[in-house]
Amino acid sequence: MNKENNSRRDFLLTGLLAAGAGLGAVAGCHSKKDPFEAAADGTVKPSGKKVKLLSVDGEVIEVDEAFLKPVPHLPAITNSEARIGIPGKKFVMVIDLSRCKNLKKCQAACNHAHDLNPGENWIKVNPMQAAEHTAPYWEPTTCMHCDEPPCVKVCPVDATFKREDGIVLIDSDRCIGCRFCMAACPYSTRVFNWGAPEISEELASQPYSCETSIPQKKGTVGKCDFCADMTRMGMLPHCVSACPNGVFFYGDLNEDSVTNGAETFRFSDLMRDKGGYRLMEDLGTKPSVYYLPAVSRNFPFESGIENDKKQNK
Amino acid sequence: MKNSKSIASDEQIIQDLLPRKFKTSGRIWVSLLIAICLVGIYAYYRQLRYGLAVTNMRDYVSWGIYISNFVFFVAISLVGSLITAVFRLAGVKWGAPLTRIAEMIAVAAIIFASIIIIVDMGSPERFYNLFIYGRIQSPIIWDVIVITTYFFISILLLYYPLLPDIKILLRFKEKSGPGLHKFYSFLGSFWTGSHKQYLLSKKAIYALCVAIIPVAFTIHTVTSWLFATTYRPGWDSTNFGAYFIAGAFLVGAGSVVVAMYIFRTWYHLEKYITPDHFDKMGRVLVLLCLLYLYFNVNEFLTPFFKMKESEAGYLNDMFSGSFAPVFWFAIFTGILLPIIILLFKQGRKPLPMFIVGIMVVVGAWFKRYLIVTPTLLHPFMPMHDVPEMYHHYFPSWEEWAITSGSLAGAMLIITLLCRIFPIVPIQETINEHHETAK
Amino acid sequence: MKLLNKILFGSLSAIFLLSGYDGFSQAPDKGSLSVAINYFNDNNKIPYVLVRVKTKVNGKFKTVPGIPLKLFLNKDSAGLLIGKVVTNESGEATSFIPPSLKKEWSATIKHSFHASFMGNTKYDSTSADLTVGKAKILIDTVGRSVVATVLELKDTSWTPVKGVDVMLAVKRLGADLNINETATFATDSTGKASGDFKRDTIPGDLKGNITLVAKVVDNDQFGNLSIEKTVHWGSKFVSKANDFNERTLFATRAKAPVWLLFIALGIIIAVWTVLILLVQNILRIKKLGQEA
Repeated sequence: MNKENNSRRDFLLTGLLAAGAGLGAVAGCHSKKDPFEAAADGTVKPSGKKVKLLSVDGEVIEVDEAFLKPVPHLPAITNSEARIGIPGKKFVMVIDLSRCKNLKKCQAACNHAHDLNPGENWIKVNPMQAAEHTAPYWEPTTCMHCDEPPCVKVCPVDATFKREDGIVLIDSDRCIGCRFCMAACPYSTRVFNWGAPEISEELASQPYSCETSIPQKKGTVGKCDFCADMTRMGMLPHCVSACPNGVFFYGDLNEDSVTNGAETFRFSDLMRDKGGYRLMEDLGTKPSVYYLPAVSRNFPFESGIENDKKQNK
Repeated sequence: MKNSKSIASDEQIIQDLLPRKFKTSGRIWVSLLIAICLVGIYAYYRQLRYGLAVTNMRDYVSWGIYISNFVFFVAISLVGSLITAVFRLAGVKWGAPLTRIAEMIAVAAIIFASIIIIVDMGSPERFYNLFIYGRIQSPIIWDVIVITTYFFISILLLYYPLLPDIKILLRFKEKSGPGLHKFYSFLGSFWTGSHKQYLLSKKAIYALCVAIIPVAFTIHTVTSWLFATTYRPGWDSTNFGAYFIAGAFLVGAGSVVVAMYIFRTWYHLEKYITPDHFDKMGRVLVLLCLLYLYFNVNEFLTPFFKMKESEAGYLNDMFSGSFAPVFWFAIFTGILLPIIILLFKQGRKPLPMFIVGIMVVVGAWFKRYLIVTPTLLHPFMPMHDVPEMYHHYFPSWEEWAITSGSLAGAMLIITLLCRIFPIVPIQETINEHHETAK
Repeated sequence: MKLLNKILFGSLSAIFLLSGYDGFSQAPDKGSLSVAINYFNDNNKIPYVLVRVKTKVNGKFKTVPGIPLKLFLNKDSAGLLIGKVVTNESGEATSFIPPSLKKEWSATIKHSFHASFMGNTKYDSTSADLTVGKAKILIDTVGRSVVATVLELKDTSWTPVKGVDVMLAVKRLGADLNINETATFATDSTGKASGDFKRDTIPGDLKGNITLVAKVVDNDQFGNLSIEKTVHWGSKFVSKANDFNERTLFATRAKAPVWLLFIALGIIIAVWTVLILLVQNILRIKKLGQEA
């Protein structure tokens, strides 16, 4: 037996465990990132400390402790890694307008997960009505993660950037707060930290990570990050898993698949069968967020009005 | 050969034009400006401490009067190139006494344009990132480059014509005092006025005049591109560069007229800045007003004619909505009334000109405000799921204080410059005097 | 599917709970918790137990974080302690089986798990039990269909189980895409469930490999079982034209378009050359003056 083979086997086994632990910590039966891949590409680094466990056949197995830790404690991604993204991926979101009744659970989950300042929302649910005699509908908006992002074009210091996997992120350690990106974004998706964000000191003193967008900092821009950290762990963005009506679908265009956690569709099927479209196509920004029109609705528009009054008087 | 009479009159000219110590009124003026600046600095201290939250800018109106003010300063700074370079190259002789005023205004304005852009930044302590991580694709970097260049050219254009005057100033050690005298020697003790030196300087000034025009056009065009490179209705215009330049020439000329009048009365320069100067500046001003009017029609008529859904919001707001009073005030005071007044010869007399100058400058300031704010209040997406105050914009006291502080600061720089240097170029006036005497 | 919905609902309500936590903790009456134990076994390797804690607030179930629980194997006694856990933000906690229970684990063909909560100031004590049989799942392919076999341990031999719902899917990012329109397939008397693969052009990796997965989800007898198999059925992944490495206006500073660099540098160099010459000119004038 050569050593290499052994370690490979070890990887496989321990990787499985890491995946299991992650699964327990977060969701349940979403399929998780291929554990072997996770170990092999170095996202999980062995700690050297072994833990003994029982296998299903009653054998005692030694496993590295690092693989058993809950997923959020994976080694931090360096800034330069975060700027490149995950090779071979092209993340997309599909928002099914026919299912939205403006519960704003997506918004609450997003605000909580990113510790946003009260009043700041990265996800906005807008009441839309094209013309007087057309029917109104609720339209959740996130960052569109455009393929030709106007915000990135104008950033003077590379503080906001487009990744290989299609995600547009912000480096709050570099942002100078000129707000040119806010002026440039036609989707009004960017949010500015006008004052110091109301977060705990412990959180505020954490090193900033482009992928988690935490902590938000005074005098810098923030916006929806497609939960790049969750995506790296093979999990769904918070808005997707928070929506009880399954409005949000998320996936990899290169895999031709999107999911809202409960249902999984081929992306191309959804586009074809339901007439998917993107917002403001004429501007040439090439968004990564697709919408399915509000036809055959699950809820009447009026069901969302009451909930809207909390934030909009 | 100079005769005794012209020597006497040369001395007279020098005496008339030498910079003078501040009298009581001058001291009051300077202290007032300093006081306004200090209030501005205090407001900025608050902004540094609490963040831009002290302003009333929010996510929709993310640029407010700071940026309006920045555009205003950039616009005013353009006058240096107009009066000095364009007039000089076009062989306009009468503009000579106005060149230094124009250059001083230009330098002061460009300094405060760069300061105000730092004030507008959310994280000014990271200003150096512009140099470490500067990204040539961004129009802001273009602006940084071109402002630096323009500032440098303006300084040179102020400096070169000063050299002969410094030689004169150095003769009056008693009057200027040891400190200023030292400063003058540092600046130009090497100037002997020899033919060789004169030729080198003349060539340099000519080169500067040629160089400053494209740079001046660039600085204001690039500033307009900060807006025009976005998708926003009201900014998304191919007319924007020319529109901004026309407006800049107008407000610059207006500010020169105001400065001319003030210096003339204050320093009793009636002999050097004559009603004829005002009359000619009046003609220039009316031409610029008409030009700017043309670009305004161009900018507003075509979108108004189409009334695209995305543009209707801000257009209605400006023509008949909440911004209508400011809009029509800016159009009437800044463009239409000046045209009417200046068409009459009586209107081009010094005092009416002074009033017209003020109208143009004030109108122009509000015009800049209208370029920035109404557009931002009419984004493509509805303003929704945001706190109530995000839907409106009226500057906070900190913003007013900082803006006033910057305006006062620019005036302070001009005031100090005219305390140190002659407002009307002495040597040039003497030369002209000799030429006319022949 | 049921479980999926539950989990979705669970993680959702965790957020809800956190926002309304204060008001609810001040309630004078102690709340009652419901504890659910789930058993997982992936690829027939290492089993683990997941506990989920919920409480009913205004008629709706919400997950409860920070609840300490003791997990036992077979019975409620300290000797067979699996571990002590505390529920996380989503009201969940997991534990693997420690080697100390090797003897007891191997001794039976059915395992009972017991979770107990001692009670605290807010909630009454409670406990839960789960009994699962030892089972494994196998996956194979026949032509273009996927066959999953569910076997349970009876005495000492693995025997097929009939009537278990199995999900057959292709592994995708964060989800499993069913191999055709059917959600689950029931096993027949040979323990086999099979479905035709109808995702023909689904993109795989560079070689066209995709990972098939067969799952038993939240089964009353066996808990959660899953197994994977890589097959060659996908279409080869062709890296789409990605402009990440191209010189564009939206690329990083190092990747500025050549035309832009050319124009910008051209102008900058031209203008600043003139300016530097003009400064030099001042020095020349100075030199002339000092010579004189």
